[in-house]
Amino acid sequence: MCDSSSDDENSWVFYKDRPDWKDVTPVPQDDGEAGIAAIRYTDKFKDVYDYFRAVLTNKEKSERALHLTKDAAELNPANYTVWQYRRDILKELNKDLYEELEYSRRIIDEHPKNYQVWHHRRVLVEWLKDPCKELHLTELILNQDAKNYHAWQHRQWAIKTFNLFEGELNYVDQLLQDDIRNNSAWNQRYFVINNTTGFTSDVLKSEIEYTLEKIKIAKENESAWNFLRGLLLHDKDGLSKNEIVTRYCEELYAYGSRSPFLLALLVDMCDEQVGQGSGDTRYTLERALELCNSLATQYDKIRAKYWQYMADKIKNKAEGKPEPTPSSSFDS
Amino acid sequence: MSLDTFDKPILNRKVHIKYLLRFLDKIPAEFISCDTTRITIAYFVISSLDVLNSLDAIDEEKKQSIIKWIYSLQVTDDEELVSGFQGSSTINTSYNKNLNSLYKWSHLAGTYCGLCCLVILGDDLKNVNRKAIVNSLKILQLPNGCFTGAKDGTENDMRFLFMAANVCYLLNDWSAIDISRAVDFIQKSISYDYGIAQGPELESHGGSTYCAVATLALCQKLDILNNSQLNGLRRWLLNRQFTGFQGRPNKPIDTCYSFWVGAALKILDAFHLSNYEHNRSFVLATQNNIIGGFSKWVNTHCDPLHTYLGLAGLSLMREKGLNEVVPMLNITYRALNHLKHIHEQWT
Repeated sequence: MCDSSSDDENSWVFYKDRPDWKDVTPVPQDDGEAGIAAIRYTDKFKDVYDYFRAVLTNKEKSERALHLTKDAAELNPANYTVWQYRRDILKELNKDLYEELEYSRRIIDEHPKNYQVWHHRRVLVEWLKDPCKELHLTELILNQDAKNYHAWQHRQWAIKTFNLFEGELNYVDQLLQDDIRNNSAWNQRYFVINNTTGFTSDVLKSEIEYTLEKIKIAKENESAWNFLRGLLLHDKDGLSKNEIVTRYCEELYAYGSRSPFLLALLVDMCDEQVGQGSGDTRYTLERALELCNSLATQYDKIRAKYWQYMADKIKNKAEGKPEPTPSSSFDS
Repeated sequence: MSLDTFDKPILNRKVHIKYLLRFLDKIPAEFISCDTTRITIAYFVISSLDVLNSLDAIDEEKKQSIIKWIYSLQVTDDEELVSGFQGSSTINTSYNKNLNSLYKWSHLAGTYCGLCCLVILGDDLKNVNRKAIVNSLKILQLPNGCFTGAKDGTENDMRFLFMAANVCYLLNDWSAIDISRAVDFIQKSISYDYGIAQGPELESHGGSTYCAVATLALCQKLDILNNSQLNGLRRWLLNRQFTGFQGRPNKPIDTCYSFWVGAALKILDAFHLSNYEHNRSFVLATQNNIIGGFSKWVNTHCDPLHTYLGLAGLSLMREKGLNEVVPMLNITYRALNHLKHIHEQWT
């Protein structure tokens, strides 16, 4: 990198040795009588922050102070005061914010999981009211880690604030082709539909078909099953009366799939119909109990207690007993 | 490690205490990104020792100097609403000692962790400027009900809402929060899979789900969850378990979620439905038996956060010799008793 502050330690010149900083007296940190959890600062860190504190004390907003914040931020990109002060200088000096945007891209690339650098980026975009680089930036970051929460948060914010929904579903589709288990991409799919077409009956139908295709590829993929259930939230008839879904699930079961997510959905379909007493012979108390038992003993053993609890719950429901509600007490 | 200990993992208390105590004094330079959140490290260490029932490993003189250091980070400003605790002394100098100055603002994480430390160490909170803190807290709530971390320059998400609710509980004063707006924010952050995200429409996450559930419990608003939401949330949380817990579907398991997900389940009365044996084995496999501490994955670097959350996660399963953590507050029941005693003095 061509940045002077990223040069190796050998060529680093301490601020206290820089002629152009001779007029400034460094200001040491005051950590009280006994600093607790004190970090062993390097000499470089101490030097840079002594001058940062000096600049802060003098309220100096200058080119050299701006450069200093860069060094301070690179030594600890999580220091939000440094970024705040940097923004105050940028404003005061009326700097080219596109240049800053480019700088923030480099910093985000180096520290993609740091809250402060993403916040800095967001403020810059808000100031510029120009989101044209945000989709590309987040794509670069998601190329490295397709589940980076910060990148998704920033992307959703930019899309929603500046109405950039066009093409997003294609991007999601591409990510799901790369990794069908990418839960962040599934969530983004829901986000896009919810904010554009909405879940009309046509959309619902085509999304259900899309999701069932994906389940066919990986039957134990929780993300796709969760998405399917999310879609069914928009089916006014509930979980158990969508013919496409029930037929698909029954076929999957008949062909021998025992994916715990398939079995769990069948349990919930039974649960729903036991409550309604609708007389569908596929979804009965007996079947629910049998499924819970096979989940507990064979297909989802780690949640054995939960499936026993579910069996009891559905049985109670069939007998007309109320569901218990959790207590919010502080008792251990 | 002998085969025997591998079969029956045990908690290596002694090395953890030693590991933790080191962080109270000097922290290695590689932790430089924690420079503005040293008070949070102090909280992880002190609360860990409390969970280990070993607070007496810190001598009385040291306890007093920790308390003094924490109070040195308290900001009380009547003109600008920035009162609370700073996370560290990075911008504190002889020029602004005991004075207010630009950017010398509290941060919600500092206020939350600082108050927790004081309570755990047995301080009486007499030197906490409760009124000023509550007044400042009011301006941190956003129109959508969430909270931002500081007066300016920080992001906002579910973590800060949780910290704000916790500060209100610790100070026994709820006037700083508009609870109905906070609850609305939580409702809107419930995802289609019934997990809860850092904010509306984002992906549900074990950490933000904990923050949301704990906030509802602290505000006594768990009843806003309808039956579908409650059952769906319990299912979503229980599905995070493989041996230990993951934070999101199709992500690797990590020690810290044994607490975040475990505590959320405990608040929702469903933790007993998880598998303790596998959970315990995983968490104990992430402890370092030589230098102490816990890491996120087996055989990786330990840090105070994973050490604390590993221990707190074990305490939820009533691990022998550990003080149990109050799931919604993230301090022990022992510390909560002390807090209740303080609250009695205030009324």
